[in-house]
Amino acid sequence: MGSIAESTKQALVLLFGGDPGLWEIVGISFQVSLTAIAIATPVALVLAFLLAFGRFPGRRLLITLFNTLLSFPAVVVGLTFYILLSRQGPLGEWQLLFTQPAMVIGQIALALPILVAMGHSSLQAIDRRAWETARTLGAGRVRAVYTLMREARFGLLAALLAGFGRIIAEVGASMMLGGNILHYTRNIPTAIALETSKGEFAQGIALGMVLLLLAFLLNGMLQVVQGKGRQVA
Amino acid sequence: MRSLTFEMICKAFGRRTILEDVAITLVPGQCQLLCGENGAGKSTLLRILAGMERPDNALVVSGDGSRSWRRARKRLLADCIYLHQRPYLFEGSVRYNLAYPVNGRRAVRESLVVQGLEWSGLSTIAEQAVHQLSGGERQRVALARAWLRRPRIMLLDEPTTNMDLACRQRTVELLRALKQEGLALVVATHDPLHFADIADHRLTLAGGRLSLDRPVYDDLPESVTPIDRRARVTALS
Repeated sequence: MGSIAESTKQALVLLFGGDPGLWEIVGISFQVSLTAIAIATPVALVLAFLLAFGRFPGRRLLITLFNTLLSFPAVVVGLTFYILLSRQGPLGEWQLLFTQPAMVIGQIALALPILVAMGHSSLQAIDRRAWETARTLGAGRVRAVYTLMREARFGLLAALLAGFGRIIAEVGASMMLGGNILHYTRNIPTAIALETSKGEFAQGIALGMVLLLLAFLLNGMLQVVQGKGRQVA
Repeated sequence: MRSLTFEMICKAFGRRTILEDVAITLVPGQCQLLCGENGAGKSTLLRILAGMERPDNALVVSGDGSRSWRRARKRLLADCIYLHQRPYLFEGSVRYNLAYPVNGRRAVRESLVVQGLEWSGLSTIAEQAVHQLSGGERQRVALARAWLRRPRIMLLDEPTTNMDLACRQRTVELLRALKQEGLALVVATHDPLHFADIADHRLTLAGGRLSLDRPVYDDLPESVTPIDRRARVTALS
């Protein structure tokens, strides 16, 4: 094991030298997390909308449930779906354990509460008159829903960024459900964990830099989006 | 266009009766003022007329017979437009807001929006974001947007609250134009004198009942002749 400086230098070489192994891992991370967020978002939007504007028994309970799920540890999500997807589990027939779809499922479960809770609060903040105004101006229900989403777009976008930020950097569920298989389910966080345990820091540091850069970009975008939202309000 | 009559409107919130057997007729080209104290149910009544709030009971009578409010609702939503006391404008430009209710081909839509901008005197601020507008400008955007929807009936909830004299006069002028186009107007207001120039009737809502046809100039002393009254009213508003 070289010094930290040496490892960092190697990391930079890996990053900017276009090391195929490293960028493959980055690609897998994005592929899995983008798929998860693409599936979770429409579902979360519908749920957030129902929670914000629907009137049905159990609504408050559901809101509390989603807020509780916000602090659900990733390893517990991993454990839950591991049990469900393992061979003896109720979903064992699907044979999904240690595959990318299993990781996608875990990440959906992690992203959904954030998307729903943040989406709900941003839709809830929209003036009630917005819906009435859309309707009285001749918008059908579908268009009125779209109008409300547009009014809440900064908050909804913030929810999306926060959700993506959580799952792209999450290690517990990916490790347990994906199994960290090279070229298939090894993503950025699981690779960092593995490289560190092997004492090979260079790739870990390089991937860590990618994640940090990504976190910086996501937060920067979040700031811009929320700033715009405040400006408008 | 024929008139539209509502009968037996009843509405209660819990045990509190807001409207009790209220009847009202909306006549094309007529402006009716709806007065009453805070909480008397003015907004509720307007929202029921607009098809937006479900009454406990109501009958809608038009040229082709009478039907329940529920059956008439779709038509009410299509024919009537309700303007909130503080209008809600969609985030974006004035132009975006005016384009909202307009359908059809792009060229047609754009020319209609231009008409709306001219009608309301908003052409110079068409591209301005609505969150930068003053209260009076917001009200005019809301009126122009409503006008572009081409409703038969417009129901306005306190349209001139917190407006200065110039803004108020402009709003009244727009309402006069709407009336001349043959729209039926109902204006809920605390200040009937502001609308004395354009109002045909004044209705008062109190204790869940609507009393009809109090002259608009009632608040002025008897000794004043109608012409004088008109002058006084103009001066007052």
